Amino acid sequence: MRSISISLGLLLGCFVVGLSGPARGASDQPASTSYWVYVTAESADEVYLIRFADRKAEIVKKISVGYQPTEIEGPHGLTVSPDGQHWYLTMAHGKPFGILYKYATGTDEVVGQCELGLFPATMQISKATGLLYCVNFDLHGDMSPSSVSIVDPDEMAEVGRVTTGPMPHGSRLSPDGRFHYSCAMMSGELFEIDATHMQLSRVLDLDKNEPRVVQEKSHAHTEHGAKDAQAEHGAKDAHAEHGATKDAHTEHGAKDAMAPAQEAHAGHHHAQSKPTWVYPHPDKRRLYVALNGMEQIAEVDLESFKIVRRFKTGKGPYNVEVSPNGKQFVATYKSAGQIGIWDIESGVELARLPTSRKVSHGVVISPDSRFAFVSSEGIGGEAGTLDVYDLESNKLAATVEIGLQAGGIYFWKAEPQD
Amino acid sequence: MIRRYSLWLSVAAVCLMAGSSVAQVVTKQGERLLQVQPGELELKIGQIAQLDAFVTDLKGNRLEAPLMFFTRARGTIAVSSTGEVTAQKPGTAMVTVRTVEDRATRMSVNVKVQVAFPPVDHIDLAGVPGQFYEGTTRRVTATAYTTEGLTRTDLEVRLRAKSPQTISIDPFGHVTALQPGSFTIVAEAEGRTTELSGQVIANPVATLELTCRDRFARTGDVLQFEAKALTPTGATVADAPIQFSLEARPDDALGNAAPGQVESDGRFVAEKAGLFTIVATCGSANTRFSVQVVDRDLQGKLEFTGQGQVQDVHTSDLWVWEGVDGRDYAVTGTWGANGDALFWDVTDPEKIERISSVRVDARTVNDVKVSEDGRLCIISREGASNRRNGIVIIDVENPRDPKIISTYDENLTGGVHNLFIYRDHVFALSAGRRYDIINIEDPKAPKTVGKFELEEEGHSIHDVWVVDGIAYSSNWRHGVQVVDVGNGVAGGTLEKPVKIGSYAYPSGWNHAAFPYLNPQTGKFYVIGGDEAFPNGLHLENKPTYPRGWIHFIDFTDMKNPKEVARYEVPEAGTHNLWVEDDLLYVAYYNGGLRVVDISGELMGDLYRQGREIAAFLPTDHEGFVHNAPMTWGPQPHKGHVFFSDWNSGLWAAKLTMKNRSVGQ
Repeated sequence: MRSISISLGLLLGCFVVGLSGPARGASDQPASTSYWVYVTAESADEVYLIRFADRKAEIVKKISVGYQPTEIEGPHGLTVSPDGQHWYLTMAHGKPFGILYKYATGTDEVVGQCELGLFPATMQISKATGLLYCVNFDLHGDMSPSSVSIVDPDEMAEVGRVTTGPMPHGSRLSPDGRFHYSCAMMSGELFEIDATHMQLSRVLDLDKNEPRVVQEKSHAHTEHGAKDAQAEHGAKDAHAEHGATKDAHTEHGAKDAMAPAQEAHAGHHHAQSKPTWVYPHPDKRRLYVALNGMEQIAEVDLESFKIVRRFKTGKGPYNVEVSPNGKQFVATYKSAGQIGIWDIESGVELARLPTSRKVSHGVVISPDSRFAFVSSEGIGGEAGTLDVYDLESNKLAATVEIGLQAGGIYFWKAEPQD
Repeated sequence: MIRRYSLWLSVAAVCLMAGSSVAQVVTKQGERLLQVQPGELELKIGQIAQLDAFVTDLKGNRLEAPLMFFTRARGTIAVSSTGEVTAQKPGTAMVTVRTVEDRATRMSVNVKVQVAFPPVDHIDLAGVPGQFYEGTTRRVTATAYTTEGLTRTDLEVRLRAKSPQTISIDPFGHVTALQPGSFTIVAEAEGRTTELSGQVIANPVATLELTCRDRFARTGDVLQFEAKALTPTGATVADAPIQFSLEARPDDALGNAAPGQVESDGRFVAEKAGLFTIVATCGSANTRFSVQVVDRDLQGKLEFTGQGQVQDVHTSDLWVWEGVDGRDYAVTGTWGANGDALFWDVTDPEKIERISSVRVDARTVNDVKVSEDGRLCIISREGASNRRNGIVIIDVENPRDPKIISTYDENLTGGVHNLFIYRDHVFALSAGRRYDIINIEDPKAPKTVGKFELEEEGHSIHDVWVVDGIAYSSNWRHGVQVVDVGNGVAGGTLEKPVKIGSYAYPSGWNHAAFPYLNPQTGKFYVIGGDEAFPNGLHLENKPTYPRGWIHFIDFTDMKNPKEVARYEVPEAGTHNLWVEDDLLYVAYYNGGLRVVDISGELMGDLYRQGREIAAFLPTDHEGFVHNAPMTWGPQPHKGHVFFSDWNSGLWAAKLTMKNRSVGQ
């Protein structure tokens, strides 16, 4: 179950349990429900708190963020703690490292911060470890392998860093919170990190659809190493079946913690797939990966750790999110200024709809699987927007203009209106 | 599966050496216990210990429960995923042991790890010579080190005199020679001692001569006092320690603040007018020398000449130049807006005319520069919608019809905040990390030929300025960096820059750097400017109150730069600056435009010395933020000072001065 479901569960009790169930018909859509999302405006150093209710989206609050007021620091990623008490924001540019900020929901005041790597971007908190996993996108400059920062969000201290690939993006955790997934845009790889041991466990070359297992040195000489972790995750057999285990271990052996990814990228190439996002299915052992360069959403089987299905999308699929009921996914087509709403079981694109601006960006879906909230960047001085789409009628439900280059987005809460 | 992390044999021996006063730490959740043994660790650097962590029921039966280990103090210790702890440097750290499960049932305990400083190996004593003249005072410093060379900052080194009849030591390390005889200073810490012995000898100094070439000075003038120690026969005592002190009688004695200062090398400067007496002392010998200081009395004015209003967006930097047609032009950037660069005809500063604009895909065009020949304008981009920022090269042979020649973003996609044009090359900042050096001999095909980036962790850069083949960059907490990019003094070239020197100051606010050779003294300064917003930045509706000041760093000896003076306007904050003809022009944000006399030697606070010549507050009641000066950058040009203001656009003013001639 997604982290936001947990927060809602804690916050709203039985009411939210109801919301988190299967999608309802339009007639019984809770007209008395208001939905709250946070959205960043990356070129304005602002975060907007938006409420959607009664088919109207409105700005509740505009929050100025950052510490270098005359420079654009670039708020990029957002997430909300499982208990809904805090929201977290990554600022892309610092001096030069980016910063993770912790805010209290409600007051929207900064209550903590810590420095991460270059261009920290998307992130999520694991329901199992309680730690926050954030990719250091390192979008600019030489394309060398970057990393995933692991942060204790209570104390706001980085407790680990795992090297992955160049330009990692799309940081998401498995529903049980035990495994972290991200993509490296430039090398075209999908990375699985054992969230408990804070170590890389599997890598999938998305261009070639070739998985491999990574064995870490510190696991190799302990009784609770990577082998056990993979076995728990159900991957051990799968690797044996597909022959990836032997090859991977032969190649990499027992390296130090940084070695596998670095070695993997010794001669990295600019991937054709250019993956930008990954999202786990809430129930099935599947991942959905946006292959920006191939105009596809790839479905990855977590047993074999291979692509088993491809969805042909519009131009430049960028973000993707699976509805909490597991029936649909919504993808933003960044280059086309569109979104696609897909039925997962049939593999049919139910609707392809324009966004309010030419550059569509992020998407989140409400816990009741009823609405998709989509940020669109705009160009130059054009205001960004948040569009709300009704996933039952597959139509635009509301739009609100926000700040420049609307990007990162995360769902905070759904609650009954007064 | 039961997760019990047993000790390895190899580690066990080490564990025996590791101290532990707490056997275990335990936390309870419902019917389960999370236990970790030991509950506390005391380690030496390099030592390894294994934590044994497990979950039991209330009867002590071990339960299957996945565990994780981490620390928030990764510099102090390292902890593996299986609970192996390695001590890395002195300090206190916590290892968190946590069950991996839902928040509602998750258990965590912290194990305190104390990594001890290595013991004191030796103590260094400095500051007191072997021969010490009776009646004089010196300061001794004592520092304790470990065998690894670590400084023991956690303890105090105690000082005492073995021969209290010969010397005395105060709590601040001042050692005074009381009478001739042997002395020994003992420094002690953690049972280690170091002794420094010497002789107090009779002070041969009978008289002091104190001279200064001037009896009269203005506030802000630095006077050099020379003191000579002489024996009764008139011989010079070269190694006599002479101390200077100051007696001040300011003209304005109505509760005035400290009006002057004298340095240990005899340099004196007054902030206020009055009679000042410098007292030189060596043992029982002393002498005095008085000087009369008058007000600097710089009666200058900045008179409004014209304004090119920009009221719908914020304005950023400016550049003023003589065009190829002989007319004068300016370009200004825009901030947090539509990606516009605005072009102005400023030939008549009273009638500043907006003549054209260029719009690029950006939210901020922070910097604008024009090539020496007036043909190319280069602007920086931040906030491009495709996140490919970089620079834009514009043909401005006819500024009324500027044409984009090319855009260039190779390794500049993260945003270019500032840039500088120097001899067919652009120095462009890349994402606040470094500057790239880009050849623009063919402006249609720019090509990166070099770069300069610091290696220090957490390094960053804000601006760069190039003169005579030397680049002066401002690097926030890493301060001013001086780099040979073709001058040759350090063998640097545009392709391979070579660092010459650097200077950083504690605030970390270094935002601008401008070189200045003082023609009267031959001293070479790099003038650093701060930028700080401790009170936030208000984008609209209300004024902003930044802070910061100008730092004068004497770089005459490139390897040994010293910060010698400042210019600090109270309650305001600096931004960009320019120097021409011994005049410092400072865009002082909410303090408006300031002009400062920086002739002669510089020491102390130039503002308090009355070196400020004039100030101008660009107040526009229809500005983006009404009536809120926020001056961004100045540039003198053909007898006028042009400057941009964040809230109101481009301005021109005329500086008039009394009582000062350039180069005085």
